[in-house]
Amino acid sequence: MLPIALSELIQIFRNRLVLITSLIVPVAVSALFVRQHETFAAVGSLGYIAAIVMFTVAAFGLYATAVTTLASRRQNLFLKRLRSTVASDRSILAGLLLPVTILAVVQVTAILTALAVVAGGPANVVLLVVAVLATLAMMIGLGLATAGLTNSPEHAQVTTLPVTLGVVAVSSWVGISGTEDLTVLKRLLPGGSATEMAVNAWNGGVAVTDSLLLLAPTFGWVVVAIALATRLFRWEPRR
Amino acid sequence: MSTTPVIEVERLNVTYGDFHAVRDLSFEVRRGELYALIGTNGAGKTSTLETIEGHRTPTSGTVRVFGHSPRDRRVVRPRVGVMLQESGFSPDLTVRESVRLIGRLTRRTDDVDRVLDIVDLTGRSGRKVSQLSGGEKRRLDFATAVYGTPELVFLDEPTTGLDIQSRDALWATVDRLRENGATIVLTTHYLEEAQQRADRIGLMHQGTFHREGTVSELTRTLPAVIRFSLPPVAPALPLQAVVDAHGKVVVETFGLQKDLHTLLGWAQDHAVELRDLQAGPTRLDDVFRAIGS
Repeated sequence: MLPIALSELIQIFRNRLVLITSLIVPVAVSALFVRQHETFAAVGSLGYIAAIVMFTVAAFGLYATAVTTLASRRQNLFLKRLRSTVASDRSILAGLLLPVTILAVVQVTAILTALAVVAGGPANVVLLVVAVLATLAMMIGLGLATAGLTNSPEHAQVTTLPVTLGVVAVSSWVGISGTEDLTVLKRLLPGGSATEMAVNAWNGGVAVTDSLLLLAPTFGWVVVAIALATRLFRWEPRR
Repeated sequence: MSTTPVIEVERLNVTYGDFHAVRDLSFEVRRGELYALIGTNGAGKTSTLETIEGHRTPTSGTVRVFGHSPRDRRVVRPRVGVMLQESGFSPDLTVRESVRLIGRLTRRTDDVDRVLDIVDLTGRSGRKVSQLSGGEKRRLDFATAVYGTPELVFLDEPTTGLDIQSRDALWATVDRLRENGATIVLTTHYLEEAQQRADRIGLMHQGTFHREGTVSELTRTLPAVIRFSLPPVAPALPLQAVVDAHGKVVVETFGLQKDLHTLLGWAQDHAVELRDLQAGPTRLDDVFRAIGS
């Protein structure tokens, strides 16, 4: 797995387009939220900013890059080449996705640290970490499933839009309006529970056990995404 | 060459929906031999090869490589080198990085410089794969296939796009591998390569073997041909012959040397010139062309 991850990291830093979309765009958008934190906190809360930053990185930095990477590696038969070796399917996928996942973790950590420095830290760091990791797991699962429907890197620009825009929209909706009304719907939508958990972790005031229950819908989406990926994911281009 | 089978295929069937790509195919590849899998377009060669390589699951039947399922990568792949039909390299990696990556993932050990030297890519080692020509990519593919001197090498149309020097170099490397006991499975559209190099050939048509055997066994099933033109007035021929659409006399024979001797004697005795005389043994091309007829 590690040789594949290393080669993937090299490729990310050699490909300017991937570098811009996976690193610079999420950081730039997040930087805007941090800089204008008073304005956005007035609309929602600091917890909302933490959640939207988390989803911006997870959607643009991790999910979209993962789909594009897998589609590209499949299209040029690199996946087939890797499957001609000793590497198992799981280690191939892990190797391909590990660099973008680590980059996403580093990005989220750096941006949330910056938010904590300029606006005050989260009430429950551990809960925030759990929310971030659950979100990243969900986005990786959705990325694998979407990659099964994506024929090429160019096609990924279209196929990633529903999830990318969807989770950011849900995060904004839940982050700004809370879950007092339409509670079940908001928690079941992809990203809804994770947003609520991140908001609770940053703002405090909610029992940890209540927040941890929100992991169930998020991991439910992971299970759904993995099940879809198992059915949809292809290792070779369609003939 | 040993008779121990390295590859055992038994009643293999591969289907894609309603399409039956491979039908009840059974054969063995023995240790140390060069086995060529050739056939018409859509004959099922690629499906067969990909199943043996472990890229595809058989619909029914069994495939064993070194006595194991080819999908058991941990056991089988360290002993197997694969040259795919198409490149399959990441365009942003360099030649050296590509060989090193795939080499490490085969769990075989080798010197990257040695392998690059074999395929004459030492001078291109720092170039990205995207900057290579088609022929150079084929050579890179071959480099990863022979990395660590595997016991079994799959060569899927290895010389397509290669110039004559690169072809010669490739076959020289294959010869060296065979001297060390390696088994080679070859698919190619260049029939003369199969004819010259294969110990045995599986000739596929419509998902199964039309014929299988040595070149000699395959070609002896068809008559050799003697072809020539006669002057307008000539005595009766000593052999049974037909005239083709171009007005040439065609003699089909299973005893080429004897009949050619008879024909030349007749021409000498009657002072007849056999213009544009052509005679030769049956070639693999002829066997191939006869499939559809």
